[in-house]
Amino acid sequence: MWRFFVARGGQYVLVLLASATLNFALPRMMPGSPLLFLAGEEVGRLDEGHRRELVRRLGLDRPLWEQYVRYLIDLARGELGTSFQRGRPIADLLRERISWTLLLMGTGLLGATAAGVVGGTWAAWRRGGSTDVGLLFTAMALESMPSFWLGMILIAVFGAHLRWFPIFGARTPGVPLEGTALLVDVARHLALPLVTLILVTAPGTFLVMRYAMLQVLGEPYIATARAKGVGERSVLFRHAMRNALLPVCTVFMLNLGFVASGATVIETVFSYPGVGRLMYEAVLNRDYPVIQAAFFVVTLSVMAANALADLLYPLIDPRVRDGRR
Amino acid sequence: MKRVILTTLIALALAKGWAGAGPSPTAGFLRIAIPREEGSLNPYTYQSGYPGWLLMTLVYDTLYYPDLDNVPQPWLARDARPSQGGRVWTVTLRPGLRWHDGRPLTAEDVKFTFEYVKKFTHARWTPQAADIERIEVQDSLTVVFRLTKPVAWFRQLPLADLPLLPKHIWEGVTEPGRFHNTVGSGPYRLVEAQPPQFYRLVANDAYFAGRPRVRELVLPIVADASVSFNAMQAGEVDANTRYLLPELMAQFQRIPGLRVVRGPGFASTILQFNLEHPLLRDVRLRRAIAHAINTQLMVRLLMLGFAEVGAPGYLHPASPLYNPAVRFVPSKARAVALLNEAGYEDRNRDGIREASDGSPLRFSLLARSGDPIRIRTADLIRTWLKDIGIEVQVRVMDDPSIISLVWPDFDVCKGRRFDMVIFGWSAPVMTRPNALTQMFHSDCRIGTINIGGYRNPEFDRLAELHAATTDARRQRELVFRMQEIVARDMPIHTLFYPDVLLAYWQTKYDGWAFQKGQGILNKLSFVSAPR
Repeated sequence: MWRFFVARGGQYVLVLLASATLNFALPRMMPGSPLLFLAGEEVGRLDEGHRRELVRRLGLDRPLWEQYVRYLIDLARGELGTSFQRGRPIADLLRERISWTLLLMGTGLLGATAAGVVGGTWAAWRRGGSTDVGLLFTAMALESMPSFWLGMILIAVFGAHLRWFPIFGARTPGVPLEGTALLVDVARHLALPLVTLILVTAPGTFLVMRYAMLQVLGEPYIATARAKGVGERSVLFRHAMRNALLPVCTVFMLNLGFVASGATVIETVFSYPGVGRLMYEAVLNRDYPVIQAAFFVVTLSVMAANALADLLYPLIDPRVRDGRR
Repeated sequence: MKRVILTTLIALALAKGWAGAGPSPTAGFLRIAIPREEGSLNPYTYQSGYPGWLLMTLVYDTLYYPDLDNVPQPWLARDARPSQGGRVWTVTLRPGLRWHDGRPLTAEDVKFTFEYVKKFTHARWTPQAADIERIEVQDSLTVVFRLTKPVAWFRQLPLADLPLLPKHIWEGVTEPGRFHNTVGSGPYRLVEAQPPQFYRLVANDAYFAGRPRVRELVLPIVADASVSFNAMQAGEVDANTRYLLPELMAQFQRIPGLRVVRGPGFASTILQFNLEHPLLRDVRLRRAIAHAINTQLMVRLLMLGFAEVGAPGYLHPASPLYNPAVRFVPSKARAVALLNEAGYEDRNRDGIREASDGSPLRFSLLARSGDPIRIRTADLIRTWLKDIGIEVQVRVMDDPSIISLVWPDFDVCKGRRFDMVIFGWSAPVMTRPNALTQMFHSDCRIGTINIGGYRNPEFDRLAELHAATTDARRQRELVFRMQEIVARDMPIHTLFYPDVLLAYWQTKYDGWAFQKGQGILNKLSFVSAPR
């Protein structure tokens, strides 16, 4: 057991180091410099000396290896650095955004999984019927829709036209609210981005669930259960669904890791103050420290979800447990 | 339940009808959508030229401020008088000015600000202080600037551009990019900064020019352009700093209570030539290319008519220094004739003309991705040039990649690697008194945005003369002649200037002031100019 943990731990450290290195190298390999976004169009009016001073202020005049070593040391000390563009500690930037992202992505993941599981089970049970075909068609259609487009449609219909839900942001700007009023306000703002997120992610789970369910329903033990007179509902939920859930768990765990990364496109369309938008803007603006830090945090959360999956799997799947013994 | 919804809807409709009673000259609370974060809205952390500078100057004040025609007028300063041919400027402050924290604003703060920006580099402020040799405080209201050389437009740059910093707060600050204090002297105080969500500004009732007409401004950040227009339509925001897309005009004009204003826009879309290119250095070829481009039709097709056709001297016809005698009427026949006269003929019958040395007229044309209008502009040019035997390959890439080819490190001294590019300059470039000098002077330290590498000694001479001339009429004459040279040499071909189209809910607030070429977001929309 201990050996297993040590080996896994070593793997994790290697992966972290590799990803930290990539996070450092990739932004610097992109064409363009952070200078434009720091100075704007005015940058052309600066003379050589002042331009160099700006670069020096960012520490970008140091040799690459030195920047790299300093970055690794800071990272090891848990120091994420300061944003070039915003001039604020990145830890603060992430803190302000992570709760919104977790709210959106967390509820989105739960909602999409629930919808996918229920829909998938139902479709498999009614295999070949009009319900199955209808659900399958809808799932395929939704899955192939770009999320920004779907979001725009929802905004145009339920925001601008019907005015049922607010169009942008995570809460009403500039109006201080408390208690229930605040909760209602946040929920109303969450509605459209959440629905968009669920609509584009649920089909994945639905397809996995439906397929797994079909396989399980074809197993001899299901025929046995039916033969001994177990009720259809019990067959479906007690015998079939529990086994069919395994691949869904895998999908869930994979997605769980990306909860912290936010949904870049949806956050941008709805001006939701999440981590995804921060990452996107950082890439656009060549804000190297923010790119490095944000992607590092995402790497960490993916690895944490992986570790969690490693720990949970033996509990939910006896085959894994037996195999290891 | 249905009944409740219905009642609510009726109530809402009634409330709307009530609000729609008429234009409102004052407002308690106004929401203006902005496209991006602007730091903490102080002079070292705000981000964009438009609308960032305008937002920041709601909190901070400049000594002069551009009026609706972009002519600088006294603001914090009572006046600024030149002496010694523009080498010395004496600025007198209005009495009784105060910072938001109640401390008096004096000549010491003026001196401090100019020395501070000289010491701590900022791309916009630092170059403006470059010509200042010494600043003397004569008394608490009088400052004397001694310059290294005459600067004719000192009132405009830096006086109407550089916001004053409170000395008692910024004195010890050595990392201004990380300093987020927002005590200014402007008509609004920043009370809440919640990037990436919103900013909240509250009127400074003690403002020297009078109490602002809108009590509170909330600036929500709406990241996506079309969402911001949806939010307008839904009444979730009352005004938008983004310019309306031409295709939305008709739809927005039909909404009662919503007002759409249209005015000249000072941002430009240009065809920039690389004047160091062995073929494009020939003015006859550049003229032929310009003649083949039907800018009138281009404006109709791409901008639905909501743009002004480019003037050959670059300056917009609504700009105060525009020379109306400089004209250019494109003609395809003229384009063909020019090419024939210059000896560009299709010698190998492949449909593309060649120069006399056999090199084909084949060029790449860069256009920025994410900007559909520019991509379509490039495509139209490709089609029209093909008609006269010039082959153009359109290459679409992201902004940083284009910059790295056209303007490496933003330093025109470092050369260029392109043939042609669809480019553009923002509105502030047009209003700068020395815009043409910066765009076309051959010395890369003076012509800091001469990205095509244009050189003409006659132009240089006029530009230098212009910089040393304080007489307004003489200045105008010189700028007129500079436009003539640009029109003759065609280092760029100005295609069009998109109109400024802005929408706001008239029922919420109707006191907006339209600043020519820029829009409605400025101090004059909220306070009257001081007398």
